[in-house]
Amino acid sequence: MKTCIITGASQGIGRATAVRLSKDPSVGNIVLIARSEAGLAATVASMDVAQVNVKSIPYDLSDLEGIEGLVKGIYDEFGSIDALLNIAGYAAPDALLDTTISDMEKTFTVNVFSMIVLTRECVKYMRNHPSKIVNVASTAGVTSRPGWLTYAASKAAVISMSNTLSDELAEYQIKVYSISPGRCATELRRKLAPEEDPTTIMQPEHVADVIATLLSDDETCLDGQNLIVRQMPSVKK
Amino acid sequence: MHGMKTGMIILAGGVGKRMGQSLPKQFIILAGKPIIVHVLEKVERLTAIDRVVITCPSEYVEKTRTLLAHRNLSGRFSCIEGGDTRQESVYMGMLDLSECDSIIIHEAVRPFVTTKEFQALIDCEYENAIYGTRIPFTVLAGNDWVEGTFERSTLVNVQLPQKFDSAALLRAHELARQEGRDFTEDASMVFEYRTGKVRILEGSEKNIKITDPTDLTIGEAIYSEYVLGRTQDS
Repeated sequence: MKTCIITGASQGIGRATAVRLSKDPSVGNIVLIARSEAGLAATVASMDVAQVNVKSIPYDLSDLEGIEGLVKGIYDEFGSIDALLNIAGYAAPDALLDTTISDMEKTFTVNVFSMIVLTRECVKYMRNHPSKIVNVASTAGVTSRPGWLTYAASKAAVISMSNTLSDELAEYQIKVYSISPGRCATELRRKLAPEEDPTTIMQPEHVADVIATLLSDDETCLDGQNLIVRQMPSVKK
Repeated sequence: MHGMKTGMIILAGGVGKRMGQSLPKQFIILAGKPIIVHVLEKVERLTAIDRVVITCPSEYVEKTRTLLAHRNLSGRFSCIEGGDTRQESVYMGMLDLSECDSIIIHEAVRPFVTTKEFQALIDCEYENAIYGTRIPFTVLAGNDWVEGTFERSTLVNVQLPQKFDSAALLRAHELARQEGRDFTEDASMVFEYRTGKVRILEGSEKNIKITDPTDLTIGEAIYSEYVLGRTQDS
């Protein structure tokens, strides 16, 4: 039974993924990480907890120094780490001339540096058994997004990092995926596009389905690619 | 043999002169990780090895220990300062592994040895055994002028890893120290001092020693093709 770690699990794609995986019979333990205790509790309330062990860990991933102990604690409790889902994200959309060093640092700390540190620590325990890492990037990482400079640049970093790690970790039997959702009805999207009607765009559950597919043992060919996930107009309901 | 202890010496004494880099070659990144890590990760899987001692220049002992710590490699692995020569480093490694009956010697810059090759060496019936390959080219003696010939079919390209009975290896080293002789590897020393018979096992062309910058390019190809089983994307 797999042990899966999900960051950003208090809302949006993280929550939808937690709910989706709680119905997956191959998943035995789900570790939820997010800053918001209330958000984590709401996620747990949505999950099928009869099927899986769920552990919620309120944690601010911008505390990079504490991540080593965080991961060790998870490994010590569950005995293995089989999937890491890096979903936590932060956005402070602004034009270049209004971009502050503080926002720049926070964006890269949450979106990139914490992902690297978390991945580094998990790989210590994932080495040498088949396991998977899914990093959630964004279509903003591959196309121009004036006004979203730091967010878009950080997501480009996630895509690049995933591509590199896919090769670097292949010998360890660790598959690394990057997925780039397009417009998706999350809190983060609301910050980036406050005027948009969330009911008209892709829902977090759609992205969660893609993540669940990638985690399936049947998926063996898509690692190392940046997968664009978007709902085409023809399939909108 | 039941109760027998096996130790391993990993020689990491390179200083990187031939690579044209200030960093010793065992730390150069090859296929995504320091060259020595390729070796350490294979040795990690060998349960028959009781202890592993890495010998390296004093200024790189901490760096090597950090590499071990980052991979949760502790307990069986340790790092000590080596000697001024390769031979001296092996000797110091042996002293550190004095409780071991059998010693495997490998070098940090042969990253493509396989776990299977290590295991076959450990399991082979001979107390002293090395890997070697046939030489596919002609070797002559001489410097500016040809001074002698060799019969190619009688020559062996000596590889590591190598395995020795501890007593036989220690005796050979002590004799060499007494005579002030310096050997470039240990099978020739054991042979010269007749402290043991050394069996040659068939080695692999992929088990290259990373010496020159060109070897890094060849190493990337070996890793991609034979370790990951991928063909290079065109």
